Amino acid sequence: MIETTVDIINKAGLHTRPSATIVKLAARHKAEFFISKDGLRINGKSIIGVMTLAAGQGSQLVLEFDGPDEQEMANEILDYFKRGFDEL
Amino acid sequence: MITIDKKAVSQGQPINVRHFYENVSGRFKIRLLSDESGFDRLIKDQNLHRPGLALAGFVDLFSYARVQIFGNTEMRYLLHLDDEAREAVLHRIFKFDLPCIILTDNNEPVPGMIELANFYHIPVFGSQYSTTKLVYLIGDFLDDQFSVRCSLHGSFVDVYGVGIMFVGKSGIGKSEVALDLVERGHRLVSDDVTILTKKGQGILMGAGTSINKHFLEIRGLGLINVPKMFGVRSIRYQKRLEIIVELEIWDDNSSYDRTGLEGSSVSILDVDIPYVKLPIVPGKNITVISEIISLNYLLKHYGYDAAKDFMARLDRQLKDGQTITRGVTYFEHDFE
Repeated sequence: MIETTVDIINKAGLHTRPSATIVKLAARHKAEFFISKDGLRINGKSIIGVMTLAAGQGSQLVLEFDGPDEQEMANEILDYFKRGFDEL
Repeated sequence: MITIDKKAVSQGQPINVRHFYENVSGRFKIRLLSDESGFDRLIKDQNLHRPGLALAGFVDLFSYARVQIFGNTEMRYLLHLDDEAREAVLHRIFKFDLPCIILTDNNEPVPGMIELANFYHIPVFGSQYSTTKLVYLIGDFLDDQFSVRCSLHGSFVDVYGVGIMFVGKSGIGKSEVALDLVERGHRLVSDDVTILTKKGQGILMGAGTSINKHFLEIRGLGLINVPKMFGVRSIRYQKRLEIIVELEIWDDNSSYDRTGLEGSSVSILDVDIPYVKLPIVPGKNITVISEIISLNYLLKHYGYDAAKDFMARLDRQLKDGQTITRGVTYFEHDFE
């Protein structure tokens, strides 16, 4: 299992479009994916879950990846977070 | 994504006057004034023509190949001529290869007109409708006859009044979904082969063919006659195509719309039709989901978009920067 924290760095935060992209990236992998914020832990493959986080700029999320392709999945999704959802 | 092969696209063919008369006589109250000797003449153009200038003598640009409409102007002009001049005018006009003539507004043929028309084998009809109304009605009929059409492999069902076409690979269960929908009270338009006809600029109308009308094939059972089995409420003859649903086996590499904001569409005969790609997985009830697609389409049509609503909520929350809380602030001694 991989557990790591990321910051939301883009101005608009984790809004609808990046949420959909994250869910789609996650769905391409077998590993399980959870996101936690402020005591809310949601399944990262669920669009309503990811949107429910309502993570604005500056908020910190804990990501968990667990499964056979967890490393690959983590790399892809962390990269997307670090690119500020391509909105920088 | 589905594509329409060029070989599946065709244009309506010229019709003869007999076909025209048989179809418009009852609908638009058109009666035959001449004999039937010109009934094999072909109508090749969907437009109509009022030959006022041609009657007056200017025939350089006479659209003679169109159905000729004689309204009050034309008939009054012919009446004001003396017998000799009128006969000359009619001879000059009838020598052109006209498909047929329609007198509007209850106008009676002028003296000698019918005899000459029979001599030249040009059918003459009369109508009680005004020129404007008749041009509108017959224009629509001819527009339909000459419209672009294409055939599409799929099952076409009216679900809550929304025309949904199911497409996808052979054997994926399109007919089974159609049958299930019919069982739930929806109406089958056609199975397997659907003819789509373009009406106006942005409308596609779908219907079955004269042979496959309202039969379904269910693998392992064979052919089923839907109206015989489920009654007249289970079918309809034509329906506007509003949504295309493509069924496919779940594909890990395929990307599916998660929010409903992407809203893709396919272009058929230059008409954009909303398109939904639906993955099939065990336990998924395609019939119920089809009903939801239809209801969601209706909601959007009447101004409510769930995806946009949710997005607006999220944007508001992000702007406020408040943390997410439980949906209920306090469970007031209510343990039910």
